[in-house]
Amino acid sequence: MIKIEHLKKEYPNVTPLKDVSVEIRDGDVISVIGPSGTGKSTLLRCINLLEKPTEGHIWIDDVEITDRKCNINKIRQKMGMVFQSFNLFGHLTVIENIMLSPMDLKGVSRQEAYDRGMELLRMVGLAEKALNYPDELSGGQKQRIAIARTLAMDPDIILLDEPTSALDPTMVGEVQAVIRELAKTGKTMMIVTHEMNFARAISTRVFFMDEGGIYEDGTPEQIFEHPQRENTRRFIRRLKVLELSIESRDYDFLGMAGQISAYCNKNQITPRMANRIQLVFEEAMQNLLPALKEPRVQAVIEYAEQSESAEWTLRYGGERLDVTASSDELSLSVLRGMTQEIAYAWEDGAELPNALHLKIRNA
Amino acid sequence: MTISKQQNGKALTLALEGRLDTVTAPELEKELRASTAAIDTLTLDFAKLDYISSAGLRVLLSAHKEMSAKGGLKIQHVNEIVQEVFEVTGFGDILTIE
Repeated sequence: MIKIEHLKKEYPNVTPLKDVSVEIRDGDVISVIGPSGTGKSTLLRCINLLEKPTEGHIWIDDVEITDRKCNINKIRQKMGMVFQSFNLFGHLTVIENIMLSPMDLKGVSRQEAYDRGMELLRMVGLAEKALNYPDELSGGQKQRIAIARTLAMDPDIILLDEPTSALDPTMVGEVQAVIRELAKTGKTMMIVTHEMNFARAISTRVFFMDEGGIYEDGTPEQIFEHPQRENTRRFIRRLKVLELSIESRDYDFLGMAGQISAYCNKNQITPRMANRIQLVFEEAMQNLLPALKEPRVQAVIEYAEQSESAEWTLRYGGERLDVTASSDELSLSVLRGMTQEIAYAWEDGAELPNALHLKIRNA
Repeated sequence: MTISKQQNGKALTLALEGRLDTVTAPELEKELRASTAAIDTLTLDFAKLDYISSAGLRVLLSAHKEMSAKGGLKIQHVNEIVQEVFEVTGFGDILTIE
């Protein structure tokens, strides 16, 4: 079991981990996902002390590895790490790469290390490459060797830091297949990955990292199907988001139209769709602002790349106010023509309880 | 939005460039108010118009009403984005678009 309490990792100009507390049970296969720069690799590297935590404590089983007196080399024998860039020794053959650590660190005999090494090479489908040098292998083969080398130490915990992101796309599959098999062996695993389908298929638990920590922790089904929190949902659905805040009737309409236009360009939204997004914003605001006592509106546009769908959500205060009840027929007809669905909801207790969802037409 | 004027006797052509929206519609309205009394036919050239919202449509509608008693209002060179707005609002049927 790995127990982490109030882990913080600070660099001179950035703090990827602010405060992480979590328990990892034996046999958990955890995918660590999230946007770049959210500390996914840092978390892994803190667990085997490749990075020294700034604050906090980590226990592996009952040993506190963040304790200065702890013999980290001993602990590291229980933990294997697979890196993005393989890190094989170029001057050693494949089988020597695999035999090295068990012989040096565990005192395993040469014959025993060789036999086990060959067994592992067969497992990753590369027994015939035993006498080759790493440079003679493809990226996918090198990574499978690196995995075999990690397994040679028979670790209880395997940490994989983006194991397929340095590979040519044609080789991702063979490495994933090996990791998939590994995930069935009951070892505790943590894998940082950007491959969502893979994460979903192999793991029993998913950490979504954001805002300096584990933002959401759940089963693959929860994280991928029913994310509970906003940033998770946006990430999983690959939503591109623009938030606008309107604080006055004389808000900077042109400035906002410019921002929306830049947002549409940046996300390569088609001109037709971009026009609908602009129009829906203008018409909705046109109807809302005169009717609001306090002209405060939070407007958020979300665009899902995969489905090429976009939706505005406008939140505002005051009494119940549904735009579709407006008397401005012309404006409403534009609004209706540019949307495929308009849904109004009253969210009791929210700071801005009126919520208007305008789903942009995408046909 | 910029408006370029070209007058030929009692025929006026206004070429619009940019966006006809909440902010710019009053400019067109003002321009029309100043010139429609003295003309018979009005042509709006939309070749360089990128965007139109209901605020712009409203100005077109009142120009259409005013000109229908005379030689009428014609709209030219409508791009497909503006055309879509005309279609969903039924303006495509009301206005003369060529």
